[in-house]
Amino acid sequence: MLLEFALIGGVLTGMYYGFLAVGLNLVFGVLRFVNLAHGSVVVLGSYLTWELSNTWHLNPLLAGLIAFPPSLVLGAVIFYAVTPRLSRSADPEMLSLILFFGIAQAIEAITTIVFTSNRRALPGSTLGASSVSILGQRYPFYWVLGAAIAVPVFGAIYIYLYRTRLGLATRAVMSSPDDAASVGIDVKRVSAICLGVGLFLAASAGSLSIFIRGGTDPAQGIAVTTFAFTVIVIGGLGNPISSIAGGVVLGCAYNLAQAYAPSWSGVIPYGLLLAVMLIRPSGLFGSQVRVA
Amino acid sequence: MKIKTKLHVTLVTGAVLAAACGSSSKTTTATTVASSATSAAAGAAAGPAPAAITVGTLYAGTGSFAVSSLPEYEGIKFWVHEVDASGGAYVKAYNKKIPIKLVSYNDQSSTSTAGTLYTQLITQNHVNILMSDFGSVLTAPAVTIAKENKQLLFDVSGTGTTFFQASNNDPYIVLTSLPVSSIWPQPAVAFMKSVGIKNVAIIYGANDFDQAQANTYKQGLAAEGINVSFFQSVPTATTSYTTLIQEVAAKKPDAFLELGYEANDIAFLKQLHSSGTKFPYVFTVFPGQNHSQVEAAVGASGLAYTYTYGAPPALVHNSPSVGLGLSSFTTAFESYASKTHINFEDIAGYNAGLVVQQALANAASLSQTDLRAGVLSQSGKFSTLIGPFSMNAQGAQTGFPLPVAQLLPASSGSATKVTIVWPKSKATGTAVYPAP
Amino acid sequence: MLRDDETLVGEIPGTASKDRVTQLFRNRSFVGDAAVALVLIGVFAFGRSFEANTLLLVNLMVYMILAQGINVSYGFTGYLPFGFVGFFGAGAYGMAVSTSKFHVGAYPGLVAGVVVSVVVALILSPLLRLRGSYFAIASLAAAEALVLLVSNPSAQGITNGAYGANLSSVFNPGASYVSTVVALGLVTAAVVWLKHSPFGLALRAIKADRSSAAMSGINVVRVRTFAWVISAAMAGLGGACYAWVISVFYPGDVFSLTTSVFAIIFALFGGIGTVVGPIVGTVVLYGIYNAIGITVPQYFQLIYGLLIVVIVLFVPRGLASLGASVFGRMSR
Repeated sequence: MLLEFALIGGVLTGMYYGFLAVGLNLVFGVLRFVNLAHGSVVVLGSYLTWELSNTWHLNPLLAGLIAFPPSLVLGAVIFYAVTPRLSRSADPEMLSLILFFGIAQAIEAITTIVFTSNRRALPGSTLGASSVSILGQRYPFYWVLGAAIAVPVFGAIYIYLYRTRLGLATRAVMSSPDDAASVGIDVKRVSAICLGVGLFLAASAGSLSIFIRGGTDPAQGIAVTTFAFTVIVIGGLGNPISSIAGGVVLGCAYNLAQAYAPSWSGVIPYGLLLAVMLIRPSGLFGSQVRVA
Repeated sequence: MKIKTKLHVTLVTGAVLAAACGSSSKTTTATTVASSATSAAAGAAAGPAPAAITVGTLYAGTGSFAVSSLPEYEGIKFWVHEVDASGGAYVKAYNKKIPIKLVSYNDQSSTSTAGTLYTQLITQNHVNILMSDFGSVLTAPAVTIAKENKQLLFDVSGTGTTFFQASNNDPYIVLTSLPVSSIWPQPAVAFMKSVGIKNVAIIYGANDFDQAQANTYKQGLAAEGINVSFFQSVPTATTSYTTLIQEVAAKKPDAFLELGYEANDIAFLKQLHSSGTKFPYVFTVFPGQNHSQVEAAVGASGLAYTYTYGAPPALVHNSPSVGLGLSSFTTAFESYASKTHINFEDIAGYNAGLVVQQALANAASLSQTDLRAGVLSQSGKFSTLIGPFSMNAQGAQTGFPLPVAQLLPASSGSATKVTIVWPKSKATGTAVYPAP
Repeated sequence: MLRDDETLVGEIPGTASKDRVTQLFRNRSFVGDAAVALVLIGVFAFGRSFEANTLLLVNLMVYMILAQGINVSYGFTGYLPFGFVGFFGAGAYGMAVSTSKFHVGAYPGLVAGVVVSVVVALILSPLLRLRGSYFAIASLAAAEALVLLVSNPSAQGITNGAYGANLSSVFNPGASYVSTVVALGLVTAAVVWLKHSPFGLALRAIKADRSSAAMSGINVVRVRTFAWVISAAMAGLGGACYAWVISVFYPGDVFSLTTSVFAIIFALFGGIGTVVGPIVGTVVLYGIYNAIGITVPQYFQLIYGLLIVVIVLFVPRGLASLGASVFGRMSR
């Protein structure tokens, strides 16, 4: 009974975790750096959601769509301002970690200045229903909603990557930027778009995060980034579609820990991340093997 | 080659040690200077009065503690504003009113930054009064620094268990605005017994504040013969409780207590509501202290009939012996800070100021030891908008008991009201147990 | 300047050991580095007579120690541990547990702090198989797991769990300050040694090209594990000293990600692979940090975040490289 609940709950939340993390994976795949500002953008998305719902009385999930244009612009601005200088440095990969930490700090500071440091949360009733019954047990409505939204999101990412010209170019850049450039792909343009799309995915995940995490505050960013990184490591770095599988594994492991050893549940994401990195660095579902 | 390299290391180390010894003798000089400065301040009672009493404090403008620290800081600023509007605080050492000057820095919720800034307040700003930032975590560095510099620390809300152990032998700390969290649950245990609760489940955050409460509950309930069938900690960063709620539901306890920080309580209450499970008695920590914010986040239906600590502003003291009563405070503070809702932290900051004022009004001189004696002499002798003030020999607050409150739905059903239900002498309503 | 001298050092290992010593002392860079170490110790040894905020001095020293630790790990081997603070926390808890649970004195406590962090480093040494961001974030995960372990109620009997540490039994502001000065001296001396020893050269050879280093007979795994352990020991020593000075702390305080990031930025800004870089980087940036904190506290985080961005974009190789290029231009 409890086992069943933990597993179904794990799958539901896990699909949402995949959604939360997929933007980070896309950016890593294309630009080869970890966007440490990912979580801060998720938080921004949550604040946008709160404003829409509380100030404008609109459906909170609209935030997930409205965020599209500003995310693309932000992605392009960051990309063109930052990468030319970064790529000239001795160790772009490491420097980008620090750089994006700085950007995360700045975003967090701006969020605090604009929205104050007060915690914002929305009651579950904002979404309509409060719980849903599956196989005789009741699950929070936002878990089911998170999973239900994650499916089309991953569908759309799949279509984008495998059925469009831009997606083809994206995959080419992912496997080798030099080869991609040699066949006439505008690597910079593709990368800038991917960064924007990655930020958009983060922001739109934020509109659900405010419900699933029970609320948001500016200081949450780094924790969200580490969590998302765990998801993509488990799934396989550089393979966006595998993020959903990584999310489900993490969701189930976390729920099982909470059911049977709650005081250790916090160690689960980090323990899994270390185990996967040491035993199977390519991720449980990744195909690319990264040579150490 | 290797030998020579070693020689170098030895040379450098030797120089290091020599230099360090030099510094060691310097230390003593520095300490002597500092202590003579202290005694100078002590003797100054006879000399001219200072133009202002400087009060130094820190606040967290950003980071995880900002949400609680900023309102507390507002409360302190409001106190300074009030005192100065009335011509200053009465200082016994000079037998006159002296204005208060506030010096404050932003520690960004970082303890190492807080450490530097507390030292800055003491050694550079030479504050007369040192007040700590919100909560145990940001107060912790101040405990040592205050002791080292022989400066009395007015600890506003840091209820840390290790701060007030008798073995610390630390005469430089007083806790102003909250009782140590280990005594918070006492009235609640009595209430649970009175309604006939037999079986209790407790989950708590793995932090000082919550764990101290959880352990008091566990002991108190055991002493009353009440069974604690589930007792589990969760990491403080936990935001997901749904599976845990499911597990507890299977044990069918009469009472389910979740002891967390505000973010934990909000997540827990929301998830409890969406899980569709009901318990006769549900208790969380923060709805009583910060009702408006918790209710906005959880919704009235999620809060209805749950229990909490009945802290001010829900607990009303309108005729304290010092300072403003709750209603006049609320009016004055709301217009000062342009806020529409006050919460407990606002009041805690203001209350800390009132305690400082008592210290000044009763200390024979401005020396730190006299200030402490001034506060201790007033233990049990005054009350503020929080309640009666009393303090033990370790400087821990033992007054200000927190009654049990229930969040009863208002007639409209779209809001809840914090209603004190226990002890009977303070009750503003009758408990609805079991929750419908 | 530094860069040129490094090449000079690079020519040494082929020569006989007797010559090496003479050469070492003829080497301007070595003499310069040793002088830096001595000046540094002198400044802090007498620091309290011109700066009353002793904790500011302690924090400066602790960050210099950590920045040097990052220097050893990243500057000499190319591994950037984001979770470096894990060793700092391990050192702090080694100190706290040994003094308050096992009632050893403060000095054995400092040693215990170093030992604990070395043990943690050895346990985590398989992470060295990872590179780049993988290693950086895996080490962060390890540090996060460690803090949860320390604060878990099951560890209560040893670490005092979530109630935090209180070292009031060994509290001694004078001695803990002096120990921190000595610790900084030891750490700086170790970096001077690393930079000018064949071992340091082996490390840089590995960093530059692992397979040719292995072919020239360097035991890659052993050498880099040793560097990793030295770097962890430095952080552990820093953590133990900090714990002694601050005396009352919670698990989260000594395992805070910010500490790692600060140490990394200070080291990078000053210039890695040098002795003086991390020191200058810490003085300048931690100085700026405190100045912002005291003057414009409301924009603290924003200014600091943007400062990081500017540093990475405009001084990616650190101040030492700027110094080198200016010097190079002047001497041309």
